[in-house]
Amino acid sequence: MYYDIITELFNISVGKAAGILSEIVNRKIILDVPEIKLILKEEDAVDLDACISDKISGALMVSSISFENNLKGKANLIFPTEKMKKFIHLCMNEEVAGKDDFFSISEEEMDFTPIDFDVIMEIGNIVLNCIMGEIGNFLKVNFNYSLPDVKIFDRQTFYNDSENDGYSHVLVLHITFVIDEIEIEGAIIVDLTLSSIQILLEKIKELEAEFHV
Amino acid sequence: MVSILVIDDSVFSQRVTADLIKKMLPEAEFHFANDGEQGLEAYKELNPDFVFLDLLMPKLNGLDVVRLLRKYDAGANIFVISADVQKSVKDKAVELGVMEFINKPFTAEKAELTAKIIRERINEAG
Repeated sequence: MYYDIITELFNISVGKAAGILSEIVNRKIILDVPEIKLILKEEDAVDLDACISDKISGALMVSSISFENNLKGKANLIFPTEKMKKFIHLCMNEEVAGKDDFFSISEEEMDFTPIDFDVIMEIGNIVLNCIMGEIGNFLKVNFNYSLPDVKIFDRQTFYNDSENDGYSHVLVLHITFVIDEIEIEGAIIVDLTLSSIQILLEKIKELEAEFHV
Repeated sequence: MVSILVIDDSVFSQRVTADLIKKMLPEAEFHFANDGEQGLEAYKELNPDFVFLDLLMPKLNGLDVVRLLRKYDAGANIFVISADVQKSVKDKAVELGVMEFINKPFTAEKAELTAKIIRERINEAG
């Protein structure tokens, strides 16, 4: 039952985030969350690796925002770097190639400028705020956010960074992001402390009790 | 001429906000600040008619900027434009007397509504 509720909460909030992204790029965007996993990092390190590797290829562009107050953790929006350049053009309302080569770009175009990083950081900020904030509104928990950040990782550096960040648990959401009929596989990873997981489950229990009143 | 100060640490968001408002209010003149501290200094220097303010920023966050601006100029016209969708945050901003709390992304529809409020405020002031 807890799993059903948390999946539903993320589906609602990700749906809202899809609406927001559509407004930014002025195109129809479908965001789907096919599965959510809760992973205990110490025991399931390989599982986290498998979760990401199965779905996302190449270097990772990771937009992050840390939060504390009722819950302490870090939310990360992860997409394959190779797909992000054209997405940035869309966000900036700049000319993009035809649909067939929409996400295929040359190597020289892969260099990201400070403005590109600023765009991805702001988009990540908006999307992650929407997802975490909506869940917070539902569960009646408040977050204080730190400044957003964006980094490009190779896969191993990302795992090392994630393993050493001091958070015991991680919620992994695979997301499929469809824009102009092109699918991009991505993920949202929410790192949480043990006490935050306990509070989260407690809040879900309270929400469940409200349903049964 | 309407002068508008946009305080936002994202250059992308500054550009989106200014471009959309400019379409609705061609007479508007824009100034920009990249963090809360810079925004406060710019306000004191420029005395703009309206402020568009982000909340999550380096050095001084947006809610603290509102508090300090209110002390400096009780009549400051402040729009908050933030990614934060938390009800508690919106309530705090409204309590501090901001004109509108607008969630990012700032769109043409939101710009139209904002321009309407600005025009009404200018007309009220005579």
